[in-house]
Amino acid sequence: MAKNESKNAVSPLERTSRLLDLVPYINTHQGISLVELAEVFEVSTDQMISDLTTLWMCGLPGYTPLELMDLDFESGYVTIRNAPTLARPRSITHEEGVALVLGLDVLRSGISSERIDLIEAIVSLSQRIARLVNLPLALSASSNISQEVTTSVKDAIAHRSGLQISYHSLYKDEISSRVILPLEILDSQGYLYLHAYCFTALDFRHFRIDRIQSAHSVEVEKPSTALPVNPEKIGFSVKVVRPTRDVAERFEESNLEAGTVFKGSSFSQHWIARSILASGGAVELLSPEEIRSELAKRAELILNRYEG
Amino acid sequence: MVSRKSERLINLTIALLATKRFVTKSEIFETIEGYEGSSESKERMFERDKDDLRSLGIEIEVGSFDPLFNDEAGYRIKQERYQLDLGDITTLEISLLSLAAQAWQGASLDDAAQRALVKLNSLGIAVDDANLPVSIPFLSDGGLDLPKITHAIAEHQILEFIYRNYDLSEENRRVVPIGLSTRSGYWYLTGVDQDIEEVRTFRFDRVIGSFTVKKGPKNFETPENFDSQNLFERVENIDAVIDVRRGKGTSLRALASSTKSIGEWDQLQIPILDVKSLSALILWHGDDVYVHSPMELRESIVSSLKEIVKAHG
Repeated sequence: MAKNESKNAVSPLERTSRLLDLVPYINTHQGISLVELAEVFEVSTDQMISDLTTLWMCGLPGYTPLELMDLDFESGYVTIRNAPTLARPRSITHEEGVALVLGLDVLRSGISSERIDLIEAIVSLSQRIARLVNLPLALSASSNISQEVTTSVKDAIAHRSGLQISYHSLYKDEISSRVILPLEILDSQGYLYLHAYCFTALDFRHFRIDRIQSAHSVEVEKPSTALPVNPEKIGFSVKVVRPTRDVAERFEESNLEAGTVFKGSSFSQHWIARSILASGGAVELLSPEEIRSELAKRAELILNRYEG
Repeated sequence: MVSRKSERLINLTIALLATKRFVTKSEIFETIEGYEGSSESKERMFERDKDDLRSLGIEIEVGSFDPLFNDEAGYRIKQERYQLDLGDITTLEISLLSLAAQAWQGASLDDAAQRALVKLNSLGIAVDDANLPVSIPFLSDGGLDLPKITHAIAEHQILEFIYRNYDLSEENRRVVPIGLSTRSGYWYLTGVDQDIEEVRTFRFDRVIGSFTVKKGPKNFETPENFDSQNLFERVENIDAVIDVRRGKGTSLRALASSTKSIGEWDQLQIPILDVKSLSALILWHGDDVYVHSPMELRESIVSSLKEIVKAHG
């Protein structure tokens, strides 16, 4: 697929597509600089010059100066004349329509219901795009990442500034305050992570963006060169009592059967204990012994509350 | 070589767009620059060029300009099919679309979104971002081929796949897809299961292997009451009433429809979507949670706890 190729790879089709889109863009951006144009189309300036040179040779049959497009870019600024046939932008493709409609829906999910003007505009746009690319209105998207957090994270990355975040640690079920230097956003297994230097851990960490409760810009110094304190992993072993999808997903184990014993490890004893609890008797923790006996006590204590 | 191919494709597009009547192949070979060599190689070139333009989403019409005579076939591209036409677009709408396109930053649909944005910006309508949200939450496509799914929805095709059930059994499913949604980082497919003829929703990461696309049933109709926006509304009108220790249970609080402080604890009402997953979340929080109602949820927690005690005691 085209998307796997690097942007500057010269596939004739990709190039044709770009050339067709260049004409209407220049037409409404007369006098745009070569450099800016290359940025918009995500190619090098040299590639852009080569693209424009090719376009310059194109036009209606006859190919006399009367029929050819009149392109001027020698000054470093680009203008176009005599290109009426290609002057209007091409229609959007099915794939582009999908990206826009889902994007609009996620946008709507973040807008307060009081902004009826915006919501109506989004609904109308979605319907028009859906009709255009033969896409039923069967798509819905929502994000569980707040807009305030999104904005702060994007700003911090763009300006290389620090952030004070309050972060929900799922394992400890605690909200902690940390100062971080965000570096980039990563997409892994359906979750978005913020790769950042953490001034609390004195090391690089990945933060699930949907667990960042709030984020404010703060001044930070350069990352410390002190050695990070690396916690040790705790090994555990688990016996399957009742194989369920829940257990398979939680422990990332496939091929589970009753009686299967599997081993794993985690940085957090909280995670181990909570995962066993949440599995609700479908698994038995064999080791470590301390977590096992603590777990049994906890479960009994909770049970007493219900039965007492 | 490469630039000559692009040049020929552009010239072909321009010529077929500029004409009102159908242009025959021989006219194309005579007038459009770039068709050279023997008549066979010209033919081959033209066939490939047509396929290439179609793969770019450009529709080439085939017809003859005098249907009464058995003329040579002709070709043209209709301006109104080629050009972007979303009706009258306001500056507010352009701004909203620009924001929508940013949702895919870093995801694989990002390229498509950016290409669409360039086209929209070519309309020459200024962006007015006053009064707009400053940014948009991120979307992730989870590595899925979303356009493949949306094509199947549009064409009422059948998607065949193997699905992992709750008890870990693997089952072959044949589904006419009618909806695609994402919530909390997961993608869901809704469709009419062809074997049981009922609407079911599937989580993509529970599909084993890939989808096979098959021809759909004749006369398929989307169930009337289907609404993709309501997929994640609860089915039953029951709230769970639970106590959560103050300062704890952030994930549970995020689900609550109401919260009331009762000293050391807060009492939460949580709409029930699925008893199994809510039970697991409650158990995860250990002794920081106490369930009042409904009875079904309470009993599920109690029997799970008994099993845990029995297994570990």
